[in-house]
Amino acid sequence: MGDDVLKGNFQPARPVKVEAAQETLEDRFEREVKKKLGGSIAYVAKKKIVWDVKE
Amino acid sequence: MAKILLINPVVREEDVPRHIPYGIALLAAIASRDGHLVQIYDENAWRRGEDVVRQVCQADDWDIIGIGGITTTYASIKSTVRIARELCPKAVIVMGGGVLTSLPREMMAWLPQVDVGVIGEGFLTFPELCAMVDAGERDFTRIDGVIARDASGKLIMSKQRELLDDLDSLPYPAWDMFPLDIYFANSQSLFSEEGMLASRRLDINSSYGCSLICRFCYHLGIAGDMRYETNAEGEVEVAFDKPGNYTRAIRYHSPEYTVRMVKHAYDKYGINFVGFLDENLMTMDQYSGRTWMKEICRLWHEYGLAPKKNPDGTWTGVHWSGTSHATLCTKEILEIMREAGCSHLVYGYESFAPHVLKTIGKGATLESNIRSFFWTLDAGIRPIPNQIIGFPVDDFESLRMSMSAWKRLGIQVKPHFATPYPGSEWFTVFRKSIEDQYKGDLEAFIVDLGDASRISAVISTNFNAIELLGLRELMLMDDQKKIDEYEKVWRSNHNIPDGQPSTLVPSKKAKGPRVVTNVSQLNPA
Repeated sequence: MGDDVLKGNFQPARPVKVEAAQETLEDRFEREVKKKLGGSIAYVAKKKIVWDVKE
Repeated sequence: MAKILLINPVVREEDVPRHIPYGIALLAAIASRDGHLVQIYDENAWRRGEDVVRQVCQADDWDIIGIGGITTTYASIKSTVRIARELCPKAVIVMGGGVLTSLPREMMAWLPQVDVGVIGEGFLTFPELCAMVDAGERDFTRIDGVIARDASGKLIMSKQRELLDDLDSLPYPAWDMFPLDIYFANSQSLFSEEGMLASRRLDINSSYGCSLICRFCYHLGIAGDMRYETNAEGEVEVAFDKPGNYTRAIRYHSPEYTVRMVKHAYDKYGINFVGFLDENLMTMDQYSGRTWMKEICRLWHEYGLAPKKNPDGTWTGVHWSGTSHATLCTKEILEIMREAGCSHLVYGYESFAPHVLKTIGKGATLESNIRSFFWTLDAGIRPIPNQIIGFPVDDFESLRMSMSAWKRLGIQVKPHFATPYPGSEWFTVFRKSIEDQYKGDLEAFIVDLGDASRISAVISTNFNAIELLGLRELMLMDDQKKIDEYEKVWRSNHNIPDGQPSTLVPSKKAKGPRVVTNVSQLNPA
């Protein structure tokens, strides 16, 4: 079941198909740790790694 | 009737969506009242990326796509209007809000996809635009309060739009057209115990304008602050506060309208907290002869909205918050407000240094800051003591004064940086310096603007961006020793001999007390 992202006073001609947002455990962990970042609290944002070790 | 798509752009991406955009919600209600077909895509609430924006643009054959917001929505708007233009070539793309109003010619030049810009308040202009599009006409400059392109692409500004006089003629915001579940999930307002426990918060706006002339603040046409002036090239352009040239219009809803709207939201959505978005509740209270706020509070009780505590710590009724002013508040009204459920009030104290306070146009003093602080606490309301560093005359002395006050008053704060937002007096005064800091690229400055918790353009005479960041860190740690050490380095770097004040701010006297009282006396460079 997708989310109804358009809201208004009539039914639009074509539906907007949006998958329900599902936060992964990794997303949740990174969101929570970001709030405490500093000192010994550090983390690796895995999706942001761009260093190609072959370079 | 026209088919209208309104898009709320992404703002403050580092935070969750917390505030339904009041202006868009009102424009949706007005368009709906006038019989148009309206849909809203709240991109800031959903944040589902470009693919969904593309689907939204293709969801119907839109006659009008409207977008707008505050200045910091610019990057999101730029991305969205490109998609809208590509997928909806026949739609009239309308842009409005503070982002357009502050720099109408620049915005229309940077965003060629936009057909028409609404300058200032849109309550009368937008419905006229909708009616014109619905009638199949496109001569937008016949409508007051817009900027549009002529056949040759030249930008034309129509006559300045008058402000709406009868605010109570406005419908209530179309809150139904927003994803309330998302906003209610982010209702928490960490400024007071009641704010922290808020689980169904909506924001309201009960007045427009502010009588004060804070030089870092901006009102963008809704406070009577905007004038149309003709420049040296003969072009009409918007002008806001300038040194020695200030205009204001004070407007507020009747207490009956305000409290009935809250009662409507309480009955329909079960809200338990309201955030007043008003620029400054105390301006209105003073202007009304000290009757307005008192009457709102009386009606809050009469309509059964004054909170009553339950044994489990929750409450029935509606707690609320807003913005106060150090000099304009009174002990009496603060006590009345608390009785009606006010939990916290934001105070822009900005600084505790008298020589800084004299230059920022706030009409507040060290004494009024401290007096209002204790009055508010005594009334049982939490004062939120906002602080700013990096003002044009800030120096080591002023930073120490603020640190000392924080310590004595128990203030825990991470100050904002003084930021010259477009539409503010300091944007006008420092514009050349701002452009120089961005190598002549004003658009890069606009994209860089955030909520002033990070540095963009610097307007400090004494400190650069790196120094301000470092000094703020030392202030947070109350590290007087390192500040003292750095002052010695700073004096050496600037060749200031012992016995002279640690400041580059020009003084009429070589020695003795500072005499700069107005930023216009400073050299922005």
